[in-house]
Amino acid sequence: MSDALTDRTAESIAAAVRGGEASAEEVARAFLARADRTSKRLGSFLHRTPEQAIASARAIDARRAKGERLGALAGVPVALKDNICTRGVPTTCGSRILEGYRPPYDAHVVERLRAADAVFVGKTNCDEFAMGSSTENSAYFPTRNPWDLARVPGGSSGGSAAAVAAREAALALGSDTGGSVRQPAAFCGVYGLKPTYGAVSRYGLVAFASSLDQIGPFARTARDTALLYDAIQGRDERDMTSRPEARPVSLDALEQGVRGLTLGVPRDLLAAEGVAPEIRERFEVASRAFADAGAKIVDVALPHAQYAIATYYLIAPAEASSNLARYDGVRYGLRVPDLDLATMYEATRGQGFGREVKRRILLGTYALSAGYYDAYYLGAQRVRTLIRRDFTEALRSADVLFFPVTPTTAFGIGEKVDDPLAMYLNDIYSIPASLAGVPALSFPAGFGPTGLPIGLQLVGRPFAEETLLRIARAAEAWGDATTRAPAIAREGAA
Amino acid sequence: MTGARPAPEAKEALRERYEAVIGLEVHAQLKTASKIFCGCSTRFGAAPNTQVCPVCLGLPGVLPVLNERAVAFAVMTGLAVGATIHPRSVFARKNYFYPDLPKGYQISQYDRPLCEGGAVEILVGDLVKRIGLVRIHLEEDAGKSLHPEGREGIVTTRVDLNRAGVPLIEIVSQPDLRSGVEAYRYLTKLKQILVYLDVCDGNMEEGSLRCDANVSVRPRGTEAFGTKTEIKNLNSFRYVEKAIHYEIDRQIGVIESGGRVVQETLLWDSARSVAETMRSKEEAHDYRYFPEPDLLPLDLDPAWVGSLRASLPELPDALRERLVRDQGVPEYDAEVLTETRSLATYFEETAARSGQPKLASNWIMTELNAVRNRTGQSIEEFPIRPDRLGALIAMVAKGTVSGKIAKQVFERMLSEPDGPEAIVAKHGLLPIDDEAALLALAREVIAANPGPAAEFRAGKEKTFAFLVGQAMKQSRGRAHPEKLQAALRAALGGAG
Amino acid sequence: MPIDANTVRKIAALARLRIDPGEEGRYVSELASILTYVEQLQPLDVSSIEPTSTVVEGPPTPLRPDRIVPCEVREEALEQAPEREGDYFRVPRVV
Repeated sequence: MSDALTDRTAESIAAAVRGGEASAEEVARAFLARADRTSKRLGSFLHRTPEQAIASARAIDARRAKGERLGALAGVPVALKDNICTRGVPTTCGSRILEGYRPPYDAHVVERLRAADAVFVGKTNCDEFAMGSSTENSAYFPTRNPWDLARVPGGSSGGSAAAVAAREAALALGSDTGGSVRQPAAFCGVYGLKPTYGAVSRYGLVAFASSLDQIGPFARTARDTALLYDAIQGRDERDMTSRPEARPVSLDALEQGVRGLTLGVPRDLLAAEGVAPEIRERFEVASRAFADAGAKIVDVALPHAQYAIATYYLIAPAEASSNLARYDGVRYGLRVPDLDLATMYEATRGQGFGREVKRRILLGTYALSAGYYDAYYLGAQRVRTLIRRDFTEALRSADVLFFPVTPTTAFGIGEKVDDPLAMYLNDIYSIPASLAGVPALSFPAGFGPTGLPIGLQLVGRPFAEETLLRIARAAEAWGDATTRAPAIAREGAA
Repeated sequence: MTGARPAPEAKEALRERYEAVIGLEVHAQLKTASKIFCGCSTRFGAAPNTQVCPVCLGLPGVLPVLNERAVAFAVMTGLAVGATIHPRSVFARKNYFYPDLPKGYQISQYDRPLCEGGAVEILVGDLVKRIGLVRIHLEEDAGKSLHPEGREGIVTTRVDLNRAGVPLIEIVSQPDLRSGVEAYRYLTKLKQILVYLDVCDGNMEEGSLRCDANVSVRPRGTEAFGTKTEIKNLNSFRYVEKAIHYEIDRQIGVIESGGRVVQETLLWDSARSVAETMRSKEEAHDYRYFPEPDLLPLDLDPAWVGSLRASLPELPDALRERLVRDQGVPEYDAEVLTETRSLATYFEETAARSGQPKLASNWIMTELNAVRNRTGQSIEEFPIRPDRLGALIAMVAKGTVSGKIAKQVFERMLSEPDGPEAIVAKHGLLPIDDEAALLALAREVIAANPGPAAEFRAGKEKTFAFLVGQAMKQSRGRAHPEKLQAALRAALGGAG
Repeated sequence: MPIDANTVRKIAALARLRIDPGEEGRYVSELASILTYVEQLQPLDVSSIEPTSTVVEGPPTPLRPDRIVPCEVREEALEQAPEREGDYFRVPRVV
C-alpha cells in the first residue's frame, strides 16, 4: 500500500488527498518510510524533517475535514535543496561555514509551496554553495546515484534528483546555475527544469551566481513538473529580477502532442568530442520519434556555444566571489575566533569553505581584480552577448532546440574530483542555456546499455516552459523512461 | 623668535606662490522613511540593531529592492544643480571586507552614475564662481563600528547595523576649489540646496552630511596637477576648512623642503587639528567593482523625471534674485533671508502683511535674529508669526508707534499672544502727541532739572538735548519727538 | 596569462581566504589550467559587442514605495550571531 503511494504521481496524490481517498498523513508516512530505508545509503538528505512533515500533513487533513479547499499540491511530499532558506530549519548549502545556521525566514518558493499545501520532508544534499556537478563537493557527505550507488547522482542538486528518483519525495526543488538541475535530473532519470531567468523568484535562494541562478523543479513526469513549476513561478516584489512575463503552464496544453512544432538541432554542438555513443544513439532515436510524431526537425547553429564553458567559468566565479563575501563570521555561521580581525576572517573562511568553493572564489576574485577585469570579466560578458544572440537567432527558425544534457551517463564517484577542469567540461550542454537565460528542460529519454538513465534537453524561447513540457510529455508514451524505478526504490516493498 | 615654525608672514608669502586644487566628495543622507533596499526605518538614534531585517543584515538569500523615493531625491538633486540625468544608470558592487559592511560589498554606482555634470555657484568676494560637479550617484550606507576606548582589557569592536542600507547620494565636485574658504562656501551652498529640496536634513552631527577632500598644490601659474591626498573624517564644515588649510600648508612645506608629496589617504583628527596617514597608495583597496546582478539597470521614465522637474521648489539662487527684484531688498539682505526656505517664507509673509519689504527685512535681520541667536529657536518655533510682526511693522510705517515703542511691543509679543494693537492698548504704549500733555511734561522736566534749564536759557544750546532725553525717558519713549521738542522750547520760554 | 604563487597569495588575501602553504601549489596549478582554458576567448574580437550583465529584458521592474515595514524576525536573525554584546555584534578590535 505505502509503496503504491510513493509510486504515484504528485498530481494523483494531490487529487487523492483533496478527494479524501488518501490522507496527507498517510502519504507523508509512506514517503518518510521509504526515505528511512534509503536516504542514509544514498546520502540524499542533509536534514530530514519527519516531525514537521507529519505535523503539516495533519494540519492539511484537519483543514480538509473542516471542508476547506486544499491547494494544488495538497499533501504532496516535497524535498528542498539545502540552499533554499527554510525558517527555523537548518540551511547549510552543504557548507561547514553555515553549519547549524537556521534562517529566520522562508524563501519565496517555500511560501508558495506551503500555500499550495505541499508537505516538506527535508533539505537535500548538494555541492557546497551549488558549486559542482557531482554532489561530491558537499562538506558533509556525497550523494549516491540511486541507479548505481558507485556513481554520482550529478550535481549540484544531486540530493534532490536522487530523492525524487528513489521515491523519497514526490517532488523536489533544486537550483540551476550552469546545469545543476538538468544534469542531475539526467543522471538520475527524472525531469529537471531550469526556468527562464526571472520566472521564479530567487528570494531566499542562497546566491551562487546571481545573474544565472534559477530555482527549478524535479519530478518524475512532465505533468508533475508543470504542477510544481506552476506553484513557484511568477513575479515576486522582493526580487527585482523576477518578471511579470512568467505564466503558469496549462496541464491541458501538455497533451497537444508535437505536431506542427519545429525542433532545432545544433549539429556543431553535438559534434563535440567526448560524447558517449549511447547518448548519441538515444538522441537519434528520440529525434526520429519526434519526427514520426509530426514534429519538424531542422538544423540550427550555435556558433558561440563552444565558448560557453570558458565564459561561464569567468562570470559565475566572479559573482560568487562577491556573493560569498558575507560569510565572514560576524553575523551568522561559523567563526574561528581570533584576537585579530583579519586573522578571524581568513581563518573562518579558510576553514569554513571547501576546496572547490575556495578555488572559485580565487578565480572570481582574480577575474574582477584591477588589471584583469576588462580581459576576463568584461570580455566574458561580451561573449555572453554573442551566445545569447545565437539562441535568439536559432529560436527564430525553431520553436525549441533539442540536444543532450550531458556528454555521458553518470560517472563514478571519485572519478573526476582531482581534475576540476575535466569536471567543468562535463557541463558543455547545460551551460549555454544558462548564459542565455532561456528555459531548458532535461527529460528522461531512456537508458543506456548498462541501465543508467539518459536525459535529453529541450531549450525554448523565454517563458516558453509550456512548450518544453508539452514535447517531453509526448515522449513519455514511447517507453518506460518515466515509469521504470531504480531497484533501491523497490527495496522492502511488499 | 626661534624654532622651525615659519613666521605667519613667511607662511602667507609661501601660500601666495602656490595654488591649491581641491575637490570634494560629499555624502548626503537622503530623507526617506525607509532604507534604500529594504523596509527598515532610517530614523536616527534608535537602540542598536533595532532597525534591521534579513535584507540589511545581509543574510544568505536576500535581495535588494530599490526605494523609489531615494531615486526621486537623487534625480531632484541632479536637476537642481543642472546635471544630466541619465535615462539608464547601473548599480555596481564595491567589494571590501569590514565588520559594518554586512554583505562584504557596498551597492553603489560606478561607471554609469545616475547624474553627471552640473554646477554649484558660490560667492567669492564679489564674484560668482561656478564649482563644476563630476557626478551624483546613489549608494547604501554602511553600519557603525564602535571602538570603546580607554577601558582596561577591551579588545573588541561593537557593530550596530541600524545605519546599514540608509540611502546616500555621493556628490563629487570637479577640482575647482582653491581654498578652504571656498570649500566652506561650496558646502554651505550644497547643504542649502539639499535642504531646500527637502531631500536631506543637512544635520552634520547625525552624519547626514559627510565630506572627504582631495587636496593638491601646484606652483601658481602652472597647469599640471600636483600629487593629491585624500582627507577623510571631516564631520563639520569648519573641520573641512581647517583640514584643507592644514593640508595645503603641509604640502607646501614638503615641497619647499625639497620633498615630494606622497599620494595617500589621511584621517583628520579634529581634537588635535592634524591629519594622519590612514593608508598609502600601495595599500589602496582593489574594490573589484562589477555591475550588481541583483538589481537591473535603473531605467528612468522621462515623464517621471519631467514630473520631478516640475515639482522642484524654488531654489536659493532664484529666490534671492526674486527678492532683490520684486521686493527691492538689498543683495546682502536677500542672501541672509534665503539662508533657509522657511526664513524666506517668513520674510515674504511679513513683507506682504506689512506692505514694507525693506522694513520687514530690517526687523527680521536685526530684532528677530537677535532673539533667535539668544534662544536658539528655529524660525518655525519663533513665537511671533509673520501676521503679528507684519501688523507691527505696518504701525511703524504709518507712524502709529515710534521705532522705540515698536521694539517694546515686539519684546512683549514674544511672551504674549496678542496682536500689536492690543498690546499697545493694554500696556498704555500709545504715543503722546497731545500738545497740552507734552507741555505739562516739559514743565515737569524743567522743574526737575533747574540747572540745565538755566544753562539753556543762558544760551548753552547743548543742554537742550539733555532735557529732551529726560523728557523722553519720563514718557517711556512714547512722546512724539518733534512735538516734544516744540513743547520744551515753548516751556523754556524760547521760540520754537 | 600566467598565475604564480605570489598572485595566488595576493588574491587570497584580497578574498580573506587562508590557504595552507602546503596547498598553495595545487591551487596555482589548478587555477593555471583553468585560466589557460579560458584563454580561448582571447582571440575573439568582441570590442564592439555590448556586455551582458543581465539577461532580463522588457519593461523596468517597479521600484519599492518608501514605506517602513517593521521586521518581525529581528531577534531570530540576531540570535544567529557567533558573538554578541547586548544588542551589538561583537568582533575582534578593528585597529
